[in-house]
Amino acid sequence: MEFLEFEGKTTEEAIENACDHFHLPAESLEIEIVSVGSPGLFGLGSKPAKVRAALREAPETDLLAEARETLENILAKMGETARVEARHEDDRITLSIESADAGLLIGKQGQTLEALQYLVSKIISKKSRRKVRLVIDIESYRARHSEALTQMALKYGEKVKKTGKPVTLNPMNPHDRRIVHLALQGDSELKTLSRGEGLYKKVVVYPVKKKEEPEDAGLT
Amino acid sequence: MKELIKFIAQALVDHPDQVQVKEIEGEQTSVIELKVAKEDLGKVIGKQGRTARAMRTILSAASTKIRKRSVLEIIE
Repeated sequence: MEFLEFEGKTTEEAIENACDHFHLPAESLEIEIVSVGSPGLFGLGSKPAKVRAALREAPETDLLAEARETLENILAKMGETARVEARHEDDRITLSIESADAGLLIGKQGQTLEALQYLVSKIISKKSRRKVRLVIDIESYRARHSEALTQMALKYGEKVKKTGKPVTLNPMNPHDRRIVHLALQGDSELKTLSRGEGLYKKVVVYPVKKKEEPEDAGLT
Repeated sequence: MKELIKFIAQALVDHPDQVQVKEIEGEQTSVIELKVAKEDLGKVIGKQGRTARAMRTILSAASTKIRKRSVLEIIE
């Protein structure tokens, strides 16, 4: 995006100048105010207001089409015949894949789906020059997966309460860990912590001892 | 397979014209060599190799379909 600077007595005037230059309304421009300027006193020491303006990036609908095409292209090159549907959901883009071979595209523990989502987000973020939140789903895997994680979290929660011993879960990505933390958040008898380094950390479920202090209170 | 990596790599880098992909086919395993401009090396590898790992994951899923193995090598 290339910014040009415009001046005016006031910021409004500077923006107007910018609009005249591009022959576009202010809504289609990305405008940053550099300095508001000052009117000065009796025409002395006055400073012009400065703004920087550039053409606003392609509208969101194009981004949606772009995201769909990118994913379709990748899938086609993987030898996959699939249909992709794109839509906006809150502030993110959701791409749903319809394919005969869902299992392959999901991969072990959703790895392949995760990889596709990561790469397509990266590509689209690069094209639109800002961070785009993008979710790729296939046969409502996301919903089923988070339901399964919640069930697993609750099951281990019960186990921890019964035995009074902490349980360490398998390494998970940040999104999955969040689901686990949220599932057990409301339980005052349990406490969850993430352990480890990097992207994949383990969630540890601890029992909260009632009267005496928990041994590893230092960890909280 | 070559086209797949080429498409993804070109969409990630700043100099798509300098992306070169070579496929060395073996009986069971193919090696795919990816070469990009020096400045773009980080873009195809990613933070802690995350981008490279994602490309390898997709590559192996695509290879399974044709009952082969593919290895992605990023060449400096």
